[in-house]
Amino acid sequence: MPDYDWECPVCHAANVAGRESCLQCRSPASLSANEIERLRVAYHEDPGFDPGAIVDFGLTDTVELTAVAHASELPLRFHGTAREYFCIWVVNLCLTLLTLGIYSAWAKVRKKRYFYSHITLDDTPFQYLARPLPILKGRIIAVILALTYYSSSHFFLAILPYVLVVGLIMAPWVIARSAAFNARYSAYRNMTFRFDGGYREAVTTIYVWGLIPAIVVGMMFNWWDSVWIPGLLFGAFSLLFPWWMRRLKAFIIERTSYGGAYGRLTVTGGQLFAVYAVASLIVVGGAIGAVAMAGTMMHGGGDLSPYAFLFFGAPFYLGYVLAFAYIQAHISNRVWNHARLGSVRFRSTLLGRELAMLYVTNALGIIASLGLLIPWAVIRTLRYRVEHMQVFLLGDLSAFQGEPADTVRAAGSEIGEFFDVDLSL
Amino acid sequence: MNAQPVTIAGHYYDGRQPLSRPATLIFIGEDVTLHGVEPSQTFAGRALLVSPRVGCAERFIDLPNGGQFLAPDSEVLDHLRQYSEAEGVAAWLEARMPLAVAGVVIIVALLLFGYFVGLPAAAGHLAQRIPMETERTLGREVLEWLDGQQWFQPSQIDEETQLVVRQGFNEMTLDLPTAAQLRLEFRNSKFIGANAFALPGGTIVITDGMIKQSESDDELLAVLAHEIGHVELRHAMRHVLQSSAVAVLVATVTADAASLSAAVAGLPAVLAQARYSREFETEADDFAFELLKRHDISPAAFASIMERLAADRGEQERAWSFIASHPVTAERVERARAAAEP
Repeated sequence: MPDYDWECPVCHAANVAGRESCLQCRSPASLSANEIERLRVAYHEDPGFDPGAIVDFGLTDTVELTAVAHASELPLRFHGTAREYFCIWVVNLCLTLLTLGIYSAWAKVRKKRYFYSHITLDDTPFQYLARPLPILKGRIIAVILALTYYSSSHFFLAILPYVLVVGLIMAPWVIARSAAFNARYSAYRNMTFRFDGGYREAVTTIYVWGLIPAIVVGMMFNWWDSVWIPGLLFGAFSLLFPWWMRRLKAFIIERTSYGGAYGRLTVTGGQLFAVYAVASLIVVGGAIGAVAMAGTMMHGGGDLSPYAFLFFGAPFYLGYVLAFAYIQAHISNRVWNHARLGSVRFRSTLLGRELAMLYVTNALGIIASLGLLIPWAVIRTLRYRVEHMQVFLLGDLSAFQGEPADTVRAAGSEIGEFFDVDLSL
Repeated sequence: MNAQPVTIAGHYYDGRQPLSRPATLIFIGEDVTLHGVEPSQTFAGRALLVSPRVGCAERFIDLPNGGQFLAPDSEVLDHLRQYSEAEGVAAWLEARMPLAVAGVVIIVALLLFGYFVGLPAAAGHLAQRIPMETERTLGREVLEWLDGQQWFQPSQIDEETQLVVRQGFNEMTLDLPTAAQLRLEFRNSKFIGANAFALPGGTIVITDGMIKQSESDDELLAVLAHEIGHVELRHAMRHVLQSSAVAVLVATVTADAASLSAAVAGLPAVLAQARYSREFETEADDFAFELLKRHDISPAAFASIMERLAADRGEQERAWSFIASHPVTAERVERARAAAEP
């Protein structure tokens, strides 16, 4: 709050000390040069624009200030309850165990159907359309792949490198197929989503720098005598990971369409890098705390009980959980806040510490109840996520034009297709 | 469908634009009329397709014109053609709390039975069917790796002692089914001290430290008999099978919680696998006692070397017994003494 009289940088109205936002145009008192520039343009060109509206949006993460200030919100609601989901979860688990895993495909459909049906956007629920058999087919393929990998890594070590190479070749296909499957069987208001990213594009997206195949194949066939080259490659990849992540997210989002409108992602790798950098600092902080505590305890003298490590392990574990939650929250925020689908914008406001609190209480509840509270944990996590997501419509919903093939029944009839398998687990 | 007209209020989506239109479906006899669109449309009731019930959510009714009607859940919808009959059964089960409670009991019973009876038995049978040769590559690679990474140095024990130990080993294994696969290797190791272990494929390694710790040949043979037990009872293979089955089971049960916290899912798997491991040790002990007695060696030799090793390491075992891979030494010693009594 400024303790001096100030002139609004956007509309030049005079404001007295103590005002946090401009009397005339509601612009916040503190703004970066970039934000001032944008607000000025918007304010002077568009009399209907209200800079005050953007205050609610958190300026740091909102690129399209002007657009969002005009938007109307489509309410997003979650209606699931722990009690209902508990019953579904028990039936799913029980039948999956009794049928030695076969029911798991039906279980997945029931679970997804429950979540989709209990999330409403503008009072209309989403619809999950997949049938169990393609999912079962996908799971059988996954089990065969897993067994091949497992037996070659345990018993037939000589063929392991070749198995991994086949895995590298297949991975982009798996990613593209499961994205397509998910999109095609997700519908909103009788129109399905689409994903049209192909194998070739998936390969160039995931392997563009050739780092992953180089590291994996190189290590498998022992190309290098020293550990320095793979070490350097690995280090480089760790640093570039946020940019790689951005590519992957952009591939999924920009190849997804609804009613003829494609997704767009404007987040930069640097913005994601900042999230990982802060998370690393949190981990380092936790580690320092753990070492400091261990130090003081050793100083205290006497024997360390076998449980002592639990105590000085605590800050380290806490740091890890915080960092994990921080990444989850802020990557999600940055990606959603810089994503759009046609004229639809999103705003995600997850907080790392709230998410961490949720994870810790979930873990404690699950342990104390010997697993019976798992459905409760799932529901409250999902509720938190949905409640911290807003959807805005800039234009008109009628801009989304469904093709005949988008309708639910047409999608359902494509089931006979051979490669219609769900490989996402 | 009864003769009385039934009206359902809801929303209509034409599939061309994501717009919501209030509408009603009126069922009269075999037909159904959609009001709220211009002009109203009439279809045969049989042509409608209803999405499965799930929780208390609204249900989707696909219409023959490519449109969709969204209606609150009601009994009326159950009389129409269903998108999936099987899911109707699932929905019926899911709607009953007493069934859920019964389900929990069944799940617990299945998991306990599988863990204590089913898995060990199945893994035992399966392991016998998988030839030992499949493990040999792995065992050889492990030994080569240990040798290459400086974990092991060549043994410093003189040839004469080695020969004596080898002879005892050969005599003991002569009439065992896995005699052809069993192999004895001597190694020196600064890192693992007095130790002996069985590698997959039947190779048994004994360290110089162990030979120096022993006060008689019988003690050494007792240790080797225990390792032979691991090979003979196919513990390497059973360990792989049982612990991966446990991992799959834990993953199935905690699938929904997995993304919430890895620690929640990891701990039960570790505890469950540790118990199997301790069971293998006890089985190998029992096998060893029998084998020793058949060759006129008292299992008391096993007790004495175990005690000496434990005293040397000064372990604080009890506190960690539930997570340890080996049973508490005192118990093993006791069992050995009991086996030694005629």
